[in-house]
Amino acid sequence: MTASFFWLASYPKSGSTWLRAFLQNLLTKSPEPASINDLTTGAIASARNWIDDLLGFDTADLYRNEVARLRPESYRFASTVASGPQYFKIHDANVRVDGDRRLIDLNATAGALYLIRNPLDVAISLANHNGCSIDRAIDLMADAGHCLSPHANDRLHNQVEQRLLTWSSHVESWVDDPELETEVLRYEDMGTKPQHAFAAAAAFLRIQTDPANIDRAIRHSQFEGLKAQEERDSFRERSTHSSRFFRKGLIGDWKRTLTRSQINRIVDQHGTVMARFGYLDSGGDPWIG
Amino acid sequence: MEQGRHRYFAFGLTLASDLRLPEFTEALHIGDAEVDIRAGAVPSSGAEIGARIGPFVCATKNMLWLRVPGVARFLVRDGREITYAVEATADESSLRVFMLGSCIGALLLQRGQLVLHGNAFEVADGCVICVGTSGAGKSTLAARMLQRGHRILADDVCPIDMEARAVPGLPRLKLWQDAARRLKIGTDGLRRIRPSLDKFDVPLDGMYCDEPLPIRAIYLLRPWNEPRLLSEPVIGLAKYPALRANSYRFRFLKGMGEEPRHLAQCSRLAARVPIARVHRPKSGFDVDGLADLILEDLACRPAS
Repeated sequence: MTASFFWLASYPKSGSTWLRAFLQNLLTKSPEPASINDLTTGAIASARNWIDDLLGFDTADLYRNEVARLRPESYRFASTVASGPQYFKIHDANVRVDGDRRLIDLNATAGALYLIRNPLDVAISLANHNGCSIDRAIDLMADAGHCLSPHANDRLHNQVEQRLLTWSSHVESWVDDPELETEVLRYEDMGTKPQHAFAAAAAFLRIQTDPANIDRAIRHSQFEGLKAQEERDSFRERSTHSSRFFRKGLIGDWKRTLTRSQINRIVDQHGTVMARFGYLDSGGDPWIG
Repeated sequence: MEQGRHRYFAFGLTLASDLRLPEFTEALHIGDAEVDIRAGAVPSSGAEIGARIGPFVCATKNMLWLRVPGVARFLVRDGREITYAVEATADESSLRVFMLGSCIGALLLQRGQLVLHGNAFEVADGCVICVGTSGAGKSTLAARMLQRGHRILADDVCPIDMEARAVPGLPRLKLWQDAARRLKIGTDGLRRIRPSLDKFDVPLDGMYCDEPLPIRAIYLLRPWNEPRLLSEPVIGLAKYPALRANSYRFRFLKGMGEEPRHLAQCSRLAARVPIARVHRPKSGFDVDGLADLILEDLACRPAS
């Protein structure tokens, strides 16, 4: 059995849709930019329908611990019948479920491309996405118990519960996993040195391609193009709390938007991981660039 | 009649069961039942039954093995038998949830029936089927239609006969507490579908339609992030993928090697029944707006 799944792992609002748009354009080689509403690569791992289909019964009728326990089995099975490499977006932290069982089954996994973005900018984007204050977003990023689509006993989400941990723990859960082949892709590098960043991503994902195709895929997935598509066609993955999914996409927006106290809180909470990935200068201050 | 066996009627079938199934209508008939449900030996692995089509499902044309870990293993055979083996200390409600969903669905598929993942309710001159993914709002809509005086034929597992009629399923709706609260349906005294889930069996009592009804239209419920409701017809070749995507446990059908039959059944249905996609806002579920939209859409269509 050859492990066939690549996980496109990220904390929310770190550019995974941008990456998926790039991959879609890279793989389809279409002369026109791919539609943002037709990103067939990187279906999210937490999609309830996908898991239900694999299991043959409804996760809606399961308890929280049952869903968590059965997810690894679903991925493992799906990987055994996959016809080639497949790419799945995932926001879960790389956690263990049910004692010591991995959520991401190693037998199913070829590797994880971890997308990281400066948490100072993530906080702004997350606040917009959730329709909450920036301070609340900063709280969430520091909350080890934070979950997306939290399991509720009295209603249903179209995704199953995803444990995020804190922003720092999320990063470390993926990139420090000694058993997992990982590659880190910085959001900032996708913007400032796209050829290099996207070529490295494509190589890690074992996608046979050439520089011209990568250039074309980069052009077709440029932020302004995605934003124009959303203005024209709307975007089905937009949060209902937010009027736009593709909002600013800026690198370093925090310099204009965050207060000194908000910056300090994020640096206090996540400074170690920020320094490691080049988001702090040698003096421990946010890197202005 | 064998002692200790309960007799029921649903899905157009007579069933005999050693397990009490309070979700079903008791049948008064005597004589052989078409379906037999009983506890028995079910292999701990499905490998000897057939090809593995899921982490917990194996199937051949006439047999399906399903395991719900911690609850039960099931063997569904020849469209006539469901054998169950309870795992550990699973309770009867939990056992029934999966038996009355996936297992009955598999049994109907083995009987060559087309089965949609949706709810059916009565309208003038027939019925409407609403299909969609889990969480699309099918049961909430059906519960609201029930409150507005429409009889219910089926909830979740919706079989369709050769005459493009919806076949009555179970006389209940499964409803989340949250939806019940919004519809002001009291849940005191209602049976939970599983002991620790706030999801209830709402009995239909006199509002269950126990006869097949011609399908006037099929609506695909699609929550979206726009603030308005919108209906758009699904026409021509687009009808097949729409029906396929909303077929009950299409994975089972594939495992049974019944895709060609399913395609033919969908094609026949698509030729006879209009299909429309109905988008509704994800936030602030305006269930009456959705119900009105469907009934208005229907009013513009001639009865067949």
